[in-house]
Amino acid sequence: MSVESKKFMSSVDVKARKLAAEKLAKAFEKVVEAILNGEEPKLVIPKRTLSNTIYDKERGLLLLGSATFERSFLDVREARKFMQTALMAKIIYEALINNEYPTIRDLYYRGKHSIRYRDHKGRTEEENTWDEQKESDAVLRDIEVYTGLLREEMLILSKEKGKVVGDMRIRSGDDVIDLSKMGHGAYAIEPTPDLIEFIDVNAEFVLVVEKDAVFQQLHRAGFWRKYKAILVTSAGQPDRATRRFVRRLNEELNLPVYILTDADPYGWYIYSVFRIGSITLSYESERLATPKAKFLGVSMTDIFGDKGKKPYLTEEERKNFIIKAKKADIKRAQELLNYEWFKTEKWQKEINIFLQKQSKLEIEALTGKGLYFLMDTYLPTKIQTQDFIE
Amino acid sequence: MAVVERFKSISPAEFFYRNKEIAGFSNPVRALYQSVRELVENALDATDAHGILPDIVVTIERDAQKPYVYRITVKDNGIGIPENYIPDAFGRVLFSSKYVLRQTRGLFGLGAKMVILYGQMTVGEPAEITSATINSSKVYMYRLMIDIKENKPLILEKASWPNKTGWHGTIVKVAIEGDWGRAKQKILEYFKKTAIVTPYANIVLKTPDNEIIVYRRVTEKMPPPPKETHPHPHGVDLEMLKSMISETKAQTLLEFLEEEFQGIGRVIAERFLQTYGFDPNVNPKSLGKEDLEKLVKALREYNEFRRPRADHLSPIGAELIKIGLEAILKPEFVDAITRKPVVYEGHAIIVEVGIAYGGAIQPQEEIMLLRFANKIPLLYDEKSDVAWKVVAENIDWKYYGIEFPAPLAVLVHVCGTKIPYKGLGKESIADVPIIEHEIEEGVRAVARSLKLYLMRKQREEEAIRKAITIIKYIPEVARALATFAKSNPVNVDRETLEKKLFELVKMKYGDAIKNISSPWDIVMHTE
Repeated sequence: MSVESKKFMSSVDVKARKLAAEKLAKAFEKVVEAILNGEEPKLVIPKRTLSNTIYDKERGLLLLGSATFERSFLDVREARKFMQTALMAKIIYEALINNEYPTIRDLYYRGKHSIRYRDHKGRTEEENTWDEQKESDAVLRDIEVYTGLLREEMLILSKEKGKVVGDMRIRSGDDVIDLSKMGHGAYAIEPTPDLIEFIDVNAEFVLVVEKDAVFQQLHRAGFWRKYKAILVTSAGQPDRATRRFVRRLNEELNLPVYILTDADPYGWYIYSVFRIGSITLSYESERLATPKAKFLGVSMTDIFGDKGKKPYLTEEERKNFIIKAKKADIKRAQELLNYEWFKTEKWQKEINIFLQKQSKLEIEALTGKGLYFLMDTYLPTKIQTQDFIE
Repeated sequence: MAVVERFKSISPAEFFYRNKEIAGFSNPVRALYQSVRELVENALDATDAHGILPDIVVTIERDAQKPYVYRITVKDNGIGIPENYIPDAFGRVLFSSKYVLRQTRGLFGLGAKMVILYGQMTVGEPAEITSATINSSKVYMYRLMIDIKENKPLILEKASWPNKTGWHGTIVKVAIEGDWGRAKQKILEYFKKTAIVTPYANIVLKTPDNEIIVYRRVTEKMPPPPKETHPHPHGVDLEMLKSMISETKAQTLLEFLEEEFQGIGRVIAERFLQTYGFDPNVNPKSLGKEDLEKLVKALREYNEFRRPRADHLSPIGAELIKIGLEAILKPEFVDAITRKPVVYEGHAIIVEVGIAYGGAIQPQEEIMLLRFANKIPLLYDEKSDVAWKVVAENIDWKYYGIEFPAPLAVLVHVCGTKIPYKGLGKESIADVPIIEHEIEEGVRAVARSLKLYLMRKQREEEAIRKAITIIKYIPEVARALATFAKSNPVNVDRETLEKKLFELVKMKYGDAIKNISSPWDIVMHTE
């Protein structure tokens, strides 16, 4: 069956599979050997905590620190997690050698079953290998850091969220896809962007838009054709594939990356995830983050103006479009103030204006003012005058 | 205890009427219960007090025609009663002459005679007594009644036959008015509790419902038989002193003190008489009422006598209490203690406490208290007993790791030649400070030992719980890791990994999991 199915599979996948399976097996063979030698079976895993997340100023990345912890099977508090880790490793390994493409939801279902046992009082008890997907997701992350293999490398798929259009051609699997010929639609960025090959590109910059609706408006108005742009949307919090894809555009094609989000703490955080990585996934930052990405807007000074800068909105428009910040927004902004990577002059200024005005704004406010104002005035001006935050 | 005194001017019938309630014959329910226990206690006194392992068979039959008439037969393998004493022993109330103290079960010293008298008054059938002493060549049988006016036995029939089997013991058969339906619970409880403190006895009970309840002997160990002893001077009163003087062979007061009391030697007797100005050479029988009163007062207050002895007492012993609790209650933990003797009003008293926990004992909101006085179970008036005060009020069980409802039983045995009963029924012991103190110390001692046991058990349970937390995952982990085992140089399968992992857990938890031989003792196969 697997040989048969291989015939229809792209050659890139086959190679990736072999590599991942070998690396995974090697990492767990060590444990088997320890058991056979009568030694305590344990996994030494890098810690995935805020305290073990380091901001590398020079490279502008969030990285995993060097702290590790031991997950020993003989430790009562870790026994269950150890079982889950071994179980997850087995499922992934089998999926790899069977030429499958499980999603994280699939992994959850494949491993979930109950263990029936007698407790110390002789009562029959039942316990699930894991109850919620949160648990299986957590051990998957442990396996990623333990083996140094990202889930994409293990051919584990996640939902596709990111989309791209622009004047460029890529090879995905064994097919060539022209991203300028997607009609009204767009190319959904595949969950394994490392298997994509860039063939040729005709663009001068990348614009990433947080909001899918704004992305569609700009796409249909022909923004990318007119301004020679690759247009990307993350449709909210960016998934790993979108981040990796954007990073590759920047790194391999040397295209500047501009990011457009709402003017609020969540928009800023989306930018920072693109640029330096996230805390929970800091172990992948090295491959996913785009340190040179620029925050184009919408910024507080775009709304309220600054010394020598005229605001893009009139007094009247401001009144209509501005939304009063909620308590949660204020709290989140105060947290951001303390993150190492927001401690730059421009960001401190941006956040402090927000805290002072207690006001936020959605990108849609600009299209509200007029789609062509956004496309032909706001965006070109911002890029030309280099009015962005890095 | 049996302190037998002379009641010269009172007829036994009158005595009985006056004392019907006190003696426990107030109604058919109490009467049936009381009759059974009087006869059973006599049977036990005839056996274990003489070093004989008791074999006791009790039969209660319902009369086929007359309602509320029951025939009680109690058979023992005791020392038996000499043929010529049988009529008086059962047919003359207050038949006894020797003035000594002895720790026996009989509460009133009346025992079987009360039962016979009660049966005679309610049903009117003669009692039937069959007995043979040890090595007697014959077995004797009497059918008798009591001549109430004359206080003497009325022999209706007498027989004897050769003792071919070498049997010894006594069989008493009496018909009385009773109420089995309502007495049943108490009688069964009585037998159960009696069995706890006589684990060396075989006791068989045949009930009117044709049930046969058997308490089998679980040990051949017996407490040493109680010995007779003279009274201690601190424990005498005027009546007692008069009887003692009337019975003594002593010619002088000095001899009387020296011979008839414990705790008084010649030197002490001389010093005592000198201190209080008595003539040592006077014949005690010649003392007048005033002299006697003065003598009693002096005897009770003089401090130089030796302490009352306790070697005549017969406690059950911690060992037997533990055996009895174990056999009847089937608990998981048991302990017992016999306290050192103490003195209460000139009489030695020994308190014993036992504790039983868990196992077949059902958890209850209240403590299960098993009270005994001179090896007799006390079944009534529990809440007014000093032992209840101790276990329910004085002791904070939380301190000993007990949270109610708890499967907890506490046994309290008070033995002595004089026990301060509360009320007329002699079913509960008064809260005398010295006894309360003894009970409390005893309960604390066994409760401490229970606490240690529970702590140890908890530690062991905790270790097993931890080990199981790991063991339950072994099959899963072995199956998963077998995927990664190299097939070179040898093929490593799931079973090998299971075994190896289990060995590792065993190395860590050792003794705690000695009863688990494989992960599959814990994990159940799921299809």
